[in-house]
Amino acid sequence: MKEIFKITLSLTVVCIVASLILGFVYAKTEHARKLNDERIEQQTIQSLLGYGVGAKIPSDLKVYPVYRYVITTEKGETVLGYVLPIKDNKVALAEMDLSGNPIKVIPIPVELSALADKATRDDAVNAALPKGSKSIYAQTIFVADQGGKRLGYVVPGVTQGFKSFIKLMVSLNPDFTVTGVAVTSAEEDPGLGAEIQKSFFRNQFVGKTIELLKKLTVVKEPLPPNFAAALDPAKAKAKGLTPEQVKEIKEKHLKDNIYALTGATISSRAMTNGVVSTVKKFVYRLDKLNEAIKKEQLSVAF
Amino acid sequence: MSSNLKLIWNGLIPENPIFRLALSMCPAVAVTTSVENGLMLGLAVVFVQVFSSCTVSIFKSFIHPRIRIPAYVIVIALWVTVIDMILPVISPDVYKKVELFVKLIVVFAIIISRLELFASKEPLIPSFFDGLGMGFGFLFGLCLIGAIREFFGTGQLFGYDILGFNPLLIMVLPAGGFFVIGFIMAIFNWFEYKITGKIPTSGGAH
Repeated sequence: MKEIFKITLSLTVVCIVASLILGFVYAKTEHARKLNDERIEQQTIQSLLGYGVGAKIPSDLKVYPVYRYVITTEKGETVLGYVLPIKDNKVALAEMDLSGNPIKVIPIPVELSALADKATRDDAVNAALPKGSKSIYAQTIFVADQGGKRLGYVVPGVTQGFKSFIKLMVSLNPDFTVTGVAVTSAEEDPGLGAEIQKSFFRNQFVGKTIELLKKLTVVKEPLPPNFAAALDPAKAKAKGLTPEQVKEIKEKHLKDNIYALTGATISSRAMTNGVVSTVKKFVYRLDKLNEAIKKEQLSVAF
Repeated sequence: MSSNLKLIWNGLIPENPIFRLALSMCPAVAVTTSVENGLMLGLAVVFVQVFSSCTVSIFKSFIHPRIRIPAYVIVIALWVTVIDMILPVISPDVYKKVELFVKLIVVFAIIISRLELFASKEPLIPSFFDGLGMGFGFLFGLCLIGAIREFFGTGQLFGYDILGFNPLLIMVLPAGGFFVIGFIMAIFNWFEYKITGKIPTSGGAH
């Protein structure tokens, strides 16, 4: 009987010490990790818009975030709330019902740059709402604008991968043609599913229009070798393909479905479904949002 | 010092975790489609093995023998999580590459078996070198398998095109992993037979 107490106590002590160490390390590294994550997110967005590492970012390129909230009003109804950047560096929360009819616009007395922090933003949204309503953060959409001209959109999405969720970002041009896909976090198996992060797979989505995306499926066929080379900039260079040749090959295969990765059909399907559903939902929502902005005559910044 | 060097040598060849002890075969098959993958996972294992061996060796007298296995698992999980939290702060670019591999390590048989067989009985310094040797042995094994599979499967090494064509696609598929490990294991056993003149028993020393 004495033994069991000894064992219990001993294991408890081990667990407590371990959790104390973990807590300490977490508290010490949390801030730096958050900053790094934000920096990586910024870099991902910039590279999706065509300004990768080393490229000079034009001074008139502006990326505006649009935050989407799901709000439960004091009457128990579910409505959508968009935190929109308004001209002259102001911010407003535009509420609309689920079918896209605008309800009201509430100004938020906080600067847009301060809203990048989730806790600050949640507080600001809750303060703007009448008492008794609740808001849940859903998504951030990025609208890129260059010198008053719409450059495109960057939309984050989530999809169920092989083991856990794959988080991705899709960039679209104003006509809703995919211009880039990035995987921001995934826990697929290295060597198999993790290949979704390689450019030869991701770039298969580039150039697909919304019509093509609606019919897009995964085929279990080997990727044609010259297409594979054209999809990977490093390989295209090694093979000595000229930019014109690369363009020609890509155009030839534009209407192809997605070629599944060898040994990772589930991950390939997950990515394809993720990209398609992210774009479809985004196009639907943006349409509603634009309608609401027009009806309410909001002078949004983008 | 020579005994410490012997411990490292022991982990590299005579008791190589993959080819002699036949431990942690799952990642050895799954991950080794390229040398780079093998190298990353191997490095991650070296760190976790050395840290865990040292920790267990220092605190071995405090750990009650009947709860040693859960205690070892906690020690390994602790180090894996600590590395997983500190690495993105020190070097986000390296972390992006090894993120997937670090998270795999908690359940590796090789680490817990070294804690049980070696670190829980020996003092700190031999435990450190044993951990180092086992880690390097694992790293060596993964890189060797990865190199063979990448070369024959895709005609590349470290992502650089060498052959320019794919000689044997099966090598990068899971089946290829079993073939390569099987053949290397056979070569190891053949050498042991040539040197000692005895037919090796199944597995290694354990």
